[in-house]
Amino acid sequence: MKDQPTRVLLIEDNPGDTDLVRLRLVEGKSPVDVNCVNRLADGLDSLKKRSPSVILLDLNLPDSRGAETFRKVLESAPNVPVVILSGQDDEELAMKALHQGVQDYLVKGAFSSSSLDRAMRYAVERQALLRSLEMSRKQQLEFKNQFLSHVSHELRTPLTSIHQFTGILLDGLAGEMKPEQRDHLKTIMKSVNQLTAMVRDLLEATRAESGKLCIESRCVAIGDLIRQAVAMMQPAAREKGVGLEVGVDTRIPLVHGDPGRILEVLINLIENGIKFTPQGGAVTVRASLVQTDPDFVYISVMDTGCGISPEARALIFERLYQDPNAVDNNRKGLGLGLFIAKELVNLHGGRIWVASEPGSGSTFSFTLPLYSIAKLLLPVITHEGRLREDIVLVKVGLKPRSKPIQANWRETCRRCFDVLQRCVYLDKDLVLPAMTVGGAEETFVVVASTDLVRANVMMTRIRKQLEKVNGLNGTGELEVSALAVPLPERDGELSLDGQVERVARTISGMVRMVLGDQSSPEGQ
Amino acid sequence: MANSKILIVDDDPDLRQALRLRLRANNYDTVNAVDGYSAIAVAYKEHPDIIILDLGLPAGDGFVVLDRLQKDDKLSTIPVIVLTARDPQSSERRALMAGAAAFFQKPADSAELLEVIRATLPKTATGTVLPS
Repeated sequence: MKDQPTRVLLIEDNPGDTDLVRLRLVEGKSPVDVNCVNRLADGLDSLKKRSPSVILLDLNLPDSRGAETFRKVLESAPNVPVVILSGQDDEELAMKALHQGVQDYLVKGAFSSSSLDRAMRYAVERQALLRSLEMSRKQQLEFKNQFLSHVSHELRTPLTSIHQFTGILLDGLAGEMKPEQRDHLKTIMKSVNQLTAMVRDLLEATRAESGKLCIESRCVAIGDLIRQAVAMMQPAAREKGVGLEVGVDTRIPLVHGDPGRILEVLINLIENGIKFTPQGGAVTVRASLVQTDPDFVYISVMDTGCGISPEARALIFERLYQDPNAVDNNRKGLGLGLFIAKELVNLHGGRIWVASEPGSGSTFSFTLPLYSIAKLLLPVITHEGRLREDIVLVKVGLKPRSKPIQANWRETCRRCFDVLQRCVYLDKDLVLPAMTVGGAEETFVVVASTDLVRANVMMTRIRKQLEKVNGLNGTGELEVSALAVPLPERDGELSLDGQVERVARTISGMVRMVLGDQSSPEGQ
Repeated sequence: MANSKILIVDDDPDLRQALRLRLRANNYDTVNAVDGYSAIAVAYKEHPDIIILDLGLPAGDGFVVLDRLQKDDKLSTIPVIVLTARDPQSSERRALMAGAAAFFQKPADSAELLEVIRATLPKTATGTVLPS
C-alpha cells in the first residue's frame, strides 16, 4: 500500500462534492488513483471490471437512494471496504450502514484530507481483520464438527461390544440366565440403546449445523408414514399406559419429502409426547389441510402432559435444551431431538412450532410442502407459449420377485430412476419424483410430450435399458405401459397457466388411479 | 451336510469373538481375518460362503478389499455384508455400488443381521442353503 497507489472508486453525483473529495485525496499522504462515477449503475459496472482497494460512496445518487445504495454495493463487492460520504442529516442512515457491513462514514464538508486518508486506511485494515476473524471462526466450526463426527464414530466400537455381549448373555448363548439376571441385562440393554440413539443424534445435529444433512425427496403418502410411526411407538405408549391415536384427513394429496426423515421427525415428537404425558393421558397425531395455506400439509402431535412454560417454549428447539421440569429423569437424552427435527423440517421447506400451557399439555406442529405436479410440468408440457399437442403417461412398475434386502432394493430403485432419466428427452419429458407406495413395489411415471405411437419406441428403450440394470436382472419384474392424457382445448378460454393446471389435475388423477390398487384404501 | 462358512473381517478382537459366538450358535462355521491384506488371502484359502466386512481396517480398508474381491473371478461370487461403525449417509451407497450385498451400522441388531445372512447365502433349487 505504500508504494502502489491506492485504487479508489468514488461514487458521487454532486460535482462540487466530487471536486472537494478529489482535492482532499490529492492533498493526502498516500498516492491515489481515483476513478469517479456519478451513477450507481456505472459504479457497479466498474466493480465488475476491476476491484478497487476502497469505495467512497455517496448515499443519494440519481439512480438509487439511501439504504438501497449501500446494500447493492455490498452485494456486488462483498470484499471491498466501503466508506460512506454522508450529508449532515444522514448520520442515522450511515450508522445503519455500519451495521450492515460498511466500514466507516464521513460527514461531507466536515473532513480534512488527513481524516479522509485515515478513514480509508482504517477501512481497509478493518475489512482485512474482519475477514481473517471470519475465516478463523469457520475453521473452528469445521474443526468442532469434524471432532464431533470422529467422537460419535469412535464411541460406536465399545458400544457395539456392550450391545453384542449383553445380547449373547440375554439369549442364553453363554449359559442359562436366572430371571433376575435377565432383568439386569435388559436394563443394560436399554441404556445401550439410549446411548446409541444419543450417538446418532450427536452426529445428526453436527451435520445439521454444518449444513451437511441431506434429504432425498420423493412423493410420500403422509397418512401411511404417520400410521407407521404410530405403530412403531405403540409398544412404548402401552408400556407407559398412555393412549396413542391418529386422525388423518383422507383428502390430503401426496407430500414432497424424504420419508425416512419425516418418519424421524414424527417419532421424535411422538416419543416426546409419551415421555411428558403421565399414565392415563393420551397423545394424538393429526394431519390436515389448511385453507389459508394451500401448498402445505399441517401435522400436529398433541399430548395431555404437563405442558411447557413460556420461557422453555422460546428455547425448546435449540440444541442441548432440556426442560428442567422433566418428570422422567431416566430418559433425558442429549436434548438434540427437537433441534434435529427443526433442521429436518426446515430443509423440507416447512416450519415447526409449539403451542402449550403449563398444566394443560402441548401441541407440536409442523408443515411439509405438498407435491405440486403443475410446477414440475410447466416447462415440459408447454412450448413456445402453448400447450403441447400430445401427452402420454408412461408407467414403469418394478416388483421384486422375493422379499428383498431393503437397502439393496432402494439402491436398485435409485439406479432405475437414473436410467429412466437417460431414456427420455429432458426438455420435453419429465420423470416424476419417485412415489413411495405400500410394500416394496416401486412405480415410476414419465410424462412424455409425444403420442402413443412414438411412446412405444420410448417404452422399448426403457425396457431394454432397465433390464440391464444391475440388481434388477433376476430379482425383479418389470412392467411398462402407456396411457394417453386427455388435454383441454389449446385455443379455448383458459390461459396457459390454467391449461397447465388442468393437465396437472388430470395427470394427478391418473397417477392416483395407477397407484390405486397398491396404496392403502385411505390413501390419496 | 456341512455348515456354511462365514469369513469375519474386523480388526476388533471383541467384535470378532461376539460374532463368532452368535454365528456358531446358529450353526455357521467361522474363519477370521484382521486386516485388508489377510482378508483376501483367507478368502482365497477358505473360500467362505459369505464375508462380513468392516470398513475401517488396517492394511487396506474395506473399500480396497471390496474392489479386490470384485476383480477376482472366483472371489467376486462371494456375497459381502458390510458391518461398520461408519454412518450410512456417507458410506452405504458407496459400499453397495462397490459390490456389497448389504450394509449394517454397528451396533447392528443381531436378529436382522442373521436374517440377512440367511437370505443372502447361495441356495440350491430346492431352497436348501449350499455349503462352500
